[in-house]
Amino acid sequence: MFSREARAELLAEADPDALIALADQCLADGAPVRVLTAPEVGCVTAQVVDPVAAERFLLGDILACRAEVELAGHRGWAMRLGDDRAAVLAAAVLDAEVQAGRSGAAAVDELCRRTQQARAAEDDREWAEIAPTVVEFEELT
Amino acid sequence: MGYSGARGGLAAILAAERLVRDKRDAAAADLAPATVVGAFRLGVDRVMGEAGLYHEQTAGAAFQQAEGDTMEATHLLRAHRSRLPRLATSEPIDPDEMTVLRRIVPAFREPDGPQLLGRTTDYTARLLDTAVRHPTEPEPEPAHTPRPATAAMRTPRRFLDQLRKMDLVVEHRGEHGDAEPHDLARFPARPPAPRSAVLSAMSRAETGGLVGLWYRSILGPDGNIHEVTLGEVRHGHLPLRVRHPHTGNPVTVGRFRATEAEAIEDLDGAEEQRDKFDVGYGLCLGHNERKAIAMANLDIANRRFGRSSPLEQLLLMTTDGLDSTGFLEHLKLPHYVTFRSMVERKQAMRANTETESRSTEPWGRTCR
Repeated sequence: MFSREARAELLAEADPDALIALADQCLADGAPVRVLTAPEVGCVTAQVVDPVAAERFLLGDILACRAEVELAGHRGWAMRLGDDRAAVLAAAVLDAEVQAGRSGAAAVDELCRRTQQARAAEDDREWAEIAPTVVEFEELT
Repeated sequence: MGYSGARGGLAAILAAERLVRDKRDAAAADLAPATVVGAFRLGVDRVMGEAGLYHEQTAGAAFQQAEGDTMEATHLLRAHRSRLPRLATSEPIDPDEMTVLRRIVPAFREPDGPQLLGRTTDYTARLLDTAVRHPTEPEPEPAHTPRPATAAMRTPRRFLDQLRKMDLVVEHRGEHGDAEPHDLARFPARPPAPRSAVLSAMSRAETGGLVGLWYRSILGPDGNIHEVTLGEVRHGHLPLRVRHPHTGNPVTVGRFRATEAEAIEDLDGAEEQRDKFDVGYGLCLGHNERKAIAMANLDIANRRFGRSSPLEQLLLMTTDGLDSTGFLEHLKLPHYVTFRSMVERKQAMRANTETESRSTEPWGRTCR
């Protein structure tokens, strides 16, 4: 079982095709769904705390997409980086599916677990690639 | 075309554009967007940083459309960004959370955490390799299995913290409280400006312009002579968090790559703490070490000399590539009317001079 925020984080990272397939599956029973915020592509402005003076500054914008739905009387929200409108709408549906405690909730959590494993595997692969470049230069005296 | 008193030319403009599009698209017919992002990674990253919009595929499309002209691609991406709504401002990002892909500390042999070269040719001879590459040929396997990554390896402590521990660095935290950062996308900055405006301006500055300004600051006519030591350079992933609209708690919506640099300054001014160092900071979107290093050095130079020299004004008003190249590029557009007016002024002056040269002033001197 994931917290709302942990689930949102993993749905933001999940494979788009898997999201859309699962959302289609969840909606197949004809439950009433309403799009509150249509998938919208825009920017999230990255605000950074500079470590020298501990002052905030705006680094730039990151392309993102968000959506909000209501499914069986429960609201679902999602935001993902990039501009994949279908994927973000599917993620919002899956968030609502869990919030409503519907039958697809377990499958959503399973997708989140798979995403978590895929991220860990990707981190391991990345480290395996760069680890051989750790260096200890010798000092000439 | 409707600029500066000239109009028409539509057929020629369309033919010129078609020439670009046809040649470009024919040459790049087999080039998938992912190939552009992968093969021209540093060019694409540079475009993202200078446009101030992070999205590899969109920047890659701009790079391809601009035929590899980074400034033109930046223009396309900045224009694209200008029509996008701002969905949110992120929660404040702590750069200490960076998961490093590369991290070097040139100032210190054994910093906390590894010296990690990452993906670089910094230590390799610059020899043009004209051999045909076969990407499908397998790379030789690494000779050893790497140790499992630890937090110290992936998120090492910054060099600045080591200097702080040794009480060797001037403390700036808390000097200006927690002021709202200046938003350059909405309000242009003019000197005197808060540091947040200068850092923002540099983070989206044109790389060559920033490097040129840095070089001028150490060797140029302004007299800002200063020691340059690079503390640390990193490239890695940073998390992006926003407030969840239903719970009000922060939620990570993804991560992006950035390059960070710390520049160490040996203080030697009469009013300065000569027994300590000062540190300048650079951070930009994507992988662009040249820019981050120039930014860090200019940050410290601006702290020391910004208000007593033209530096702050130069940083705020001359480093945006879209501003400078936009002005330069516009010179290619027809200026028939303005130039004709200049010609007519010259001719009028000459006619006036010829008329006046025939009449003399009472004391006999020609009126000029």
